[in-house]
Amino acid sequence: MPTETNDLQYADVHRDVIRSIVETGPQYYIALGTAFGVTLLCFFFPWSYQLYYGIGAAGMNHPGVWGTYLASFIFWIGLSHSGTLLSCVLHLTHSTWRKAMYRSAEAMTLFSLMVAATFVMVHVGRPWFIHWALPYPNQMEMWPNFRSPLLFDVMAIGTYITGSSIFIYMGSIPDFAAVRDRTTGWRNNMYALLSMGWRGTDREWHRLHWAYTFLAVLIIPLAVSVHSIVSWDFAMSIVPALHQTIFAPYFVVGAIYSGTAGIVTVMFVLRKYMDFGQYITKVHFDNLGKLLLVLSLIWTYINGIELFTGWFSGASSEHEALRYKLFGYYAPLYWEMIAFCAVAPLLCISSRFRTSFVPMLILSIAINIGMYTERFLIVGTSLSRQYLPDAWGVYVPSLVEISIIVGSLALFVTLFLVFVKIVPSVSMYEVKETMDAPKPEPVASPEGSPA
Amino acid sequence: MSLLDRFTDGWRKYRKPGYYEEFDYHWAMTIDLDKCTGCEACVTACQAENNLPIVGEKAFAEGREMKWIRIERYWEGEYPDVKLRFIPMLCQQCDSAPCETVCPVSATYHNQDGLNTQIYNRCIGTRSCAVYCPYEVRYFNWNDHQWDAPLEQQLNPDVTVREKGVMEKCTFCIQRIRQAKDHAKDDGRRRVRDGEVQPACVQTCPANALVFGDRKDPNSQVSRSMNDPRAYRVLEELNTDPSVVYLKKVDAKG
Amino acid sequence: MSNFAVGLFREPQSALAAAGTLKGAGFATPELMSPVPLEGVEEVLGEKKSVIKRFTLFGALIGGISGFVLAAGTSVLFVHPTGGRPIITIPPYLIITYELLILFGILFTVLGFFISARLPAIRDRVYVPEAAVDQFAVSVACDNHEHFKRAESILREAGAEQVRDMAEDD
Repeated sequence: MPTETNDLQYADVHRDVIRSIVETGPQYYIALGTAFGVTLLCFFFPWSYQLYYGIGAAGMNHPGVWGTYLASFIFWIGLSHSGTLLSCVLHLTHSTWRKAMYRSAEAMTLFSLMVAATFVMVHVGRPWFIHWALPYPNQMEMWPNFRSPLLFDVMAIGTYITGSSIFIYMGSIPDFAAVRDRTTGWRNNMYALLSMGWRGTDREWHRLHWAYTFLAVLIIPLAVSVHSIVSWDFAMSIVPALHQTIFAPYFVVGAIYSGTAGIVTVMFVLRKYMDFGQYITKVHFDNLGKLLLVLSLIWTYINGIELFTGWFSGASSEHEALRYKLFGYYAPLYWEMIAFCAVAPLLCISSRFRTSFVPMLILSIAINIGMYTERFLIVGTSLSRQYLPDAWGVYVPSLVEISIIVGSLALFVTLFLVFVKIVPSVSMYEVKETMDAPKPEPVASPEGSPA
Repeated sequence: MSLLDRFTDGWRKYRKPGYYEEFDYHWAMTIDLDKCTGCEACVTACQAENNLPIVGEKAFAEGREMKWIRIERYWEGEYPDVKLRFIPMLCQQCDSAPCETVCPVSATYHNQDGLNTQIYNRCIGTRSCAVYCPYEVRYFNWNDHQWDAPLEQQLNPDVTVREKGVMEKCTFCIQRIRQAKDHAKDDGRRRVRDGEVQPACVQTCPANALVFGDRKDPNSQVSRSMNDPRAYRVLEELNTDPSVVYLKKVDAKG
Repeated sequence: MSNFAVGLFREPQSALAAAGTLKGAGFATPELMSPVPLEGVEEVLGEKKSVIKRFTLFGALIGGISGFVLAAGTSVLFVHPTGGRPIITIPPYLIITYELLILFGILFTVLGFFISARLPAIRDRVYVPEAAVDQFAVSVACDNHEHFKRAESILREAGAEQVRDMAEDD
């Protein structure tokens, strides 16, 4: 379908993608160095301080015992939700426009999950005992509490990380094999190992197709369950404004929404700095823009419903929580979220907007800022106004927290930059599939040409 | 007993809500708001008994004070017709505690005495129990605390000093309950006598507003006090089934 | 040691045709190597069945059962009454069951894929690197030189640009 790739040959795709792996300019090293430096400085350094000092290094207090760390955790889990999920859905529905972008989208899933998992470590008070949340036989004869929504999280995210890394790996095996043939030295050994001796035989393709399809079928309900479970961390409490049945769909939609916006951002960057202009085209931005529009409408609807059920409950605690959310201390953030996530995406109605790259980039970033705010508000406003007015209070993030948030972004970028040099960030064989196969030449020499 | 019978028996036992057939003791407390003067003697006593850290001015301003029992203060009415109300708020030892189910590492559970216990050693500090608690009575150690000399001399040897990253809360002075049980056993008694054990706050209350005892004993002071017509429980609509009962303050008409 | 005649084609249609002719001429089922999944292989070389779906089903069942047994069993081993709930609480344990069902489903699918696709390759096998770029290769086992000659002529007739004589260790 992408019309712009029609004049390309198989060999061109091959050359372009492999070049993106083996040829590394100074620009890349500068970017990687900067990202890594920022990660060290803004993420690991404040975190070490926090480990030494205690969680008190962050701005959390009573009653705001959950803060930006948990908000970041939800945000990163949410960001992970479009990659693999979208890729699976589009694979099962045979959408060809998926093929050029899905690899980097899946990588986004994987790395945002990793960053999210790191935020669990940052969030808890004693991360050196975090393994106690895993079910393993131990000399204390203790087991984790399987009734806890947080343990559902452990199981769901563990499964999700496993599933999405396997999914991205399986889809990359043929490409690893192709890169293996074109590289030398340590790279060749690495790809030989990764490709596991893939030859591209009819049997292998057939098995890959089926395995991949089954994985897709398994991963779609998994991804939906993951963010539902994350929402139950909140919805299973009895905190006013958190104890809502709408939370699971709310979180899932929000996750896909911010994930899709994240894909737009990554697409833009890949297109611009990795010279994939011929593969990532206006078609992709157009389709993603439509998706964003639909998701923003669903998201807005659920937000309205959330307010309505709060009001309709008639409970004074719910009414106070609602009033506080709309007009209280954090109200400017609430209205910022509405502007970025409910109003701004309406621009996607115009097809001219959807097909222009820079405005889409700006929109996608705005949406993710809005979605981060949403997660912060879920934690911040609800905990500030609970049942007993004596225990009301506000929570403001500290410098350590803000620095760790910035650092986590750099951590994500670092991981992504390492990824684009190891895994072909555009799937070669699937892009080739979308192109016209070489046709028999009109006058084919019956003898062929001896080598 | 056949295997199937054992299985069905086990199934029935483990499917029983609340699990316990019966609590050994069912410790409870009543707080008479008519008697409470809001003097905060209980707060101080608790601080001394349970090795609560003195967090200092800065942490206090940040909202990080540690008070297992606190006096909530509410103003009722508009000036000049205004009334001041006090409610001592401590862990309600709920029998259907929301905080217990959420802990991923089983650091908090319900024991045979009907107490909601917190296991400091097992806590990893997710702080979800504090979010799930509607009474906001769980306190988190935001950092390690210091007792400047000679304050460290007054630490209670029966109570652990908690490290950073651990959640803590009122235990109904479980160390005293243990001691009383041990004494009862040494004396050859089956049960602890009514009034034999008192948490620090109850012991200290100058107005005798706090009463502590075993709810299972119908003649105990706390059981009788719980049958008072003024009795109510805070946030009862949440169905947490608290073990702390408040006796409403009754205003004279006029 | 077995020998193979490997023909390289520019376009997939003639490779498929060659494979079909070879099969019809009494050769062992030829193998196709291509940079993209080919359509119409099954029409030429016969229907393919994979055991992967059995692996997936089996894994999901094992995962589901072990998920519930893990949650319920450990709560019985380590009795831990919380929140007035029973020790074996069905709804939360169904979530654990569900997650492990999917986890084991995924792991067994991968296992099934590797087994049925005969990966990872333990020994060297016939391979043409061009088939990962833009060529389509047909490889067929040949017992002797005469056999090879016949295979070569069939491949060339179908439009092979090259025919290679390759060997594979047993």
